[in-house]
Amino acid sequence: MKKLDSILLKAFLYGLPIVIMLGIFSYFYGLGIFNQATGKVKFLYNFVGLIFALWMLLSIYLCVRLMVSGSLRNKVLAKLTFIRERDEREVMLTGKATKTTFLTSLAILIFLFCLSCFQVSIYRLPPAKAVDGKTGIVSLGFGFNLLESSKQANANKTLKERDIFTYTGLPVSSTAVILLLIIWQIISYNCSMQRLVKNEHKVT
Amino acid sequence: MSKCQPRLKIVNRLHVLRAERRLTQEQLAKEIGVTRATIVAIEGGGYNPSLELAFRLARYFKTEIKAIFSIEEEER
Repeated sequence: MKKLDSILLKAFLYGLPIVIMLGIFSYFYGLGIFNQATGKVKFLYNFVGLIFALWMLLSIYLCVRLMVSGSLRNKVLAKLTFIRERDEREVMLTGKATKTTFLTSLAILIFLFCLSCFQVSIYRLPPAKAVDGKTGIVSLGFGFNLLESSKQANANKTLKERDIFTYTGLPVSSTAVILLLIIWQIISYNCSMQRLVKNEHKVT
Repeated sequence: MSKCQPRLKIVNRLHVLRAERRLTQEQLAKEIGVTRATIVAIEGGGYNPSLELAFRLARYFKTEIKAIFSIEEEER
């Protein structure tokens, strides 16, 4: 299993630049060039599509393996995050840096959760619907939606009023938040590690 | 830990023992099986080694742990 994982990991890594190149190519030229193509170009397009589909399948398999297999996780993610545990001192420093990263990530997640739950809406009602002669309304809410679609439905509902200001959760997509958190984890770990090593030298 | 307890500082003679045997930090690290940064950190007082590493150092220098590491009481 380990050997198979190693081979598949290499295939994934070697395929990565090709996929990036395909992405750049399709961004600049679009799909129109392939729709009109015939013969060899059409065959190449279909072949590349198959390769891309296989690469996607491979990436899903590897993601699942990363969650399940501890050895693969240690091998791949430790390299990706620059974790080095060559002796007991580095193990201890890694533990401390990981704790800092975990706690800061948790704090960020709590902050993001609050931001995504709070709902603020300031709007003006039509004069016919005035409440005690007042048409300006400030609406505060705390909403939790399990599914993304129900959140959008609520947002559209508030837009029917004459909106002055509406905040119905994070304006960033969930994909962007996940990516930012991944980057944050790597940066935070490495910064903590550097600070710990610096502190060690300060004692000297 | 109780507040009135004096702070214990672990001092070591590792650099002395190393100099006596004309060893570089890199050489000692290799012999003990740690990185050079760890030897630097131990000598500088930035890192207190585990009991296992302390025993390994003592065995390498053919001495007792007490001859390498000792305790000094520090005023808070």
